[in-house]
Amino acid sequence: MSRNPAIDNADQCMKCGFCMYNCPIYKVDHIESHVARGRNLLIRLAGDKSIPSDNDYTERLSYCLLCGRCEAICPAKVPSPDINIAARTRLIGEKGLSLPKRAVYRGILKNRKLMANLLGVAVWVPGVSTKDGKPLRHMADFTSIFSKGLSLPRLSHPFLSSRLPAKTLPPRGVKTKGQVAIFPGCAFEFFFADIGEGIVSVLANAGYEVVYVRDLTCCGLAVRSAGDIKTAQLMAQHNIEKLAIFDHIITGCATCGTALKDYGKWFSENDTWQSRAQALSAKVSDFSEFLVKEGFTSNAVQPVTVTYHDPCHMKWHQGISNQPREILRSIKGVKYVEMEGADDCCGLGGAFTLAHRDMSLAIQDKKMQNIKNTGAQIVVTSCPGCLIQLKDGVRRNNLQVKVMHISELIRGQIKPPQKRRSTGDKGERLPPLKPSL
Amino acid sequence: MGDKGLLTAPVDLAAYSFDGTTNWQSLPEAVVFPITTGQVSEILKLATAQQIPVTPRGAGSNLSGGSVPISGGIVICTTRMNKILKIDADSFTVTTEVGVILNDLNRELAQQNLFFPPDPQSFYVATIGGCVSENAGGPYAVKYGVFKHYLLGLTAVLPSGTIIKLGGNTVKNVTGYDLPQILCGSEGTLAVITQVTLRLLPLPPAHQTVIAVFDKVVTSGQAVHRVLTAGILPAKIELMDNWVIRRIEETSHLGLPLEAGSILLFELDGMPAAVKMETEGVINGCQQAGAIEVRAARDANEAGNFWTGRRAGFSAIYGTSPTVFAEDITVPISRIADLISKVQDIAKNYNLTIVIIGHAGDGNLHPSILTDKNNAEHYARAERAVNEIFIAALEYGGAISGEHGIGLEKKRFMKQAMQPEAIDLLRGIKKVFDPDGIMNPGKIWEDK
Repeated sequence: MSRNPAIDNADQCMKCGFCMYNCPIYKVDHIESHVARGRNLLIRLAGDKSIPSDNDYTERLSYCLLCGRCEAICPAKVPSPDINIAARTRLIGEKGLSLPKRAVYRGILKNRKLMANLLGVAVWVPGVSTKDGKPLRHMADFTSIFSKGLSLPRLSHPFLSSRLPAKTLPPRGVKTKGQVAIFPGCAFEFFFADIGEGIVSVLANAGYEVVYVRDLTCCGLAVRSAGDIKTAQLMAQHNIEKLAIFDHIITGCATCGTALKDYGKWFSENDTWQSRAQALSAKVSDFSEFLVKEGFTSNAVQPVTVTYHDPCHMKWHQGISNQPREILRSIKGVKYVEMEGADDCCGLGGAFTLAHRDMSLAIQDKKMQNIKNTGAQIVVTSCPGCLIQLKDGVRRNNLQVKVMHISELIRGQIKPPQKRRSTGDKGERLPPLKPSL
Repeated sequence: MGDKGLLTAPVDLAAYSFDGTTNWQSLPEAVVFPITTGQVSEILKLATAQQIPVTPRGAGSNLSGGSVPISGGIVICTTRMNKILKIDADSFTVTTEVGVILNDLNRELAQQNLFFPPDPQSFYVATIGGCVSENAGGPYAVKYGVFKHYLLGLTAVLPSGTIIKLGGNTVKNVTGYDLPQILCGSEGTLAVITQVTLRLLPLPPAHQTVIAVFDKVVTSGQAVHRVLTAGILPAKIELMDNWVIRRIEETSHLGLPLEAGSILLFELDGMPAAVKMETEGVINGCQQAGAIEVRAARDANEAGNFWTGRRAGFSAIYGTSPTVFAEDITVPISRIADLISKVQDIAKNYNLTIVIIGHAGDGNLHPSILTDKNNAEHYARAERAVNEIFIAALEYGGAISGEHGIGLEKKRFMKQAMQPEAIDLLRGIKKVFDPDGIMNPGKIWEDK
């Protein structure tokens, strides 16, 4: 068995068990093979062939949200999520990828055009898409048949790429401070294009020329998390090449932000891509992080009570938790209330929710109770994955709570711009920001 | 027993084959997660009928090998028995199931201005049942004692399946032999405890942390003695040597002084005026003992950082070496400085790294020997050093384990620590509770 430096980190685990205090899954079922301490041991034992790499082992590896709480609380800072990914990679090396997974990771997610074409066809299936943010009423939960009951967002119609010019300019009267490139990610490109537009609109109104780069691909995080690190590296390389010329890359997606900021760590020291990846990672900011750094001030809104849910990819992977709150607290009219367990996971964990729906819902239930206890009218978050899960939870629990991406609250209810052709480098102006809400 | 209440897959069994130590591993044949005392009773009846060994386990964060199922059999994991049954703020007691996590209990209590002091540094994960079974303690022991000082009553299940209620709800209670105290610290070798009633205290309104820096570890030992004999009783007095300070700084960057030979962390608690006076007393005492620097923590945030560093200390030690003997000796407070000198001599004589961290205020130190069990020569040297440390602790009138328990880790030293007739009494008590010897066999003492 060749040594794998990522897996060798498991040797640093001294089994204190602090991870058990922080693990959303262990808190529900209290099973040691579902938490970092136990899993790290299993991964070591499987490496020594002391336990079989059987289906049970594979399943235990999948029983992890990769949320990063274990690493955050670990006194020795054992990178348990990365160890798990390395172990999944080792499994793929031993057993290969199943055909459907190969098709998704290496075909669809890696190839943005193919994905756009496939989803572009799906748009015309009744009930699968939305116009102007409103879901079509009937067959609204048609897609949930394929997601074990999770209500998936409808596809946006049209996609973000058809809504935005290549360059969006600040409105007249707003001084241009600089240029940023937007990384929309699959979610804001295909599912929440309205939010994608809103992010661009806020940035433009804050004085930035926002460049929409046409042929980016998926950030690759989901593919890497599944252990297919080679494909994820190819996706990273593609994005690095397309984005290298920009000084600031902004994303409104906590997951994409994590991936882009981690690209530097996705390549080994002796890989020539490492330095290029690191250079790119250094230029990436989350939407709220960028706004706070640039001294953004928001317009007033109608009085409303708001709470914030920390996405794992935001707080535990990027260390961003103050900035979104700072923005929310700065908005006149917003009464901000902190929920208990605001940084507890929502339970989605990407593909986790599909593989382990019951556990996902048990974690979601706790989150819903905490949201309900605040009495907030709006729960704000910074991750499209969390948006999906929180909206699903609100629907399942019949809560009278709106779930919003942070940009939605800031931008208020501006109408999405007309569908326009790209005007190349000339750029287009958006209407000035209207009062929010 | 509900969803996944019984585990038998090889991967799951492997995850229950160890505890918080580095040396011990042994597979169970099944892991069960009872939710009620009645279920525990049914499991034990079955185990007795089939003569299957049973190892009770909480979070498995113990440091003695005590929850490692060394004879195989069934692991009864109590982590799903996790309801706090009754907090009685008028009588200062709590009755709780044993799977409740110590930190969760204290969070609940704090909402009613109540406080349960014993604080093993695994409190983020340790269960109440595990703590009672190991008679756990921590930094607060200086002022507040350990688990046994708070145990009023309990419910347990004998190996026969019989459910027994022992003790009561009052601080004073001399009804016959103190049976709860026999189960406390019995390391799961007598019965499975399922519920306990604990004594509580009012939450102290004021806290102050003091940090004192010394050029030598021995001087800090003298400072502890000087502060206590001056009539001041801090809630905690914790010691970390230079090696630990450096290691903690490497991982956590808390701003600890890297050049210090050792530091002492004091916590004073109580009424604000008393805390203020005691803080001055601690600062004076440390200065007189020759501290390089001593000061009160600026604010709760800085104090919090210091204590986070202390908590990380043990893990920091474990993370650096394939095998660690984390010793747990205790000596009378007047002999702390002697013990520290002795440990340093032993480290020099055997050419070993022995890190010193511990609860200096109650005489309980954790000299930790860094070694590697795959390096036979080094390991043998480390074993000889451990032996000498134990001999020294016993010579000074101390004990071989202050709070971790004997389990597997220290049972070979029991003959030095207890006279044979006393060990026979332990065996006799075991026989009364567990005539078939199915409860956590192979622990505490060696077979005759």
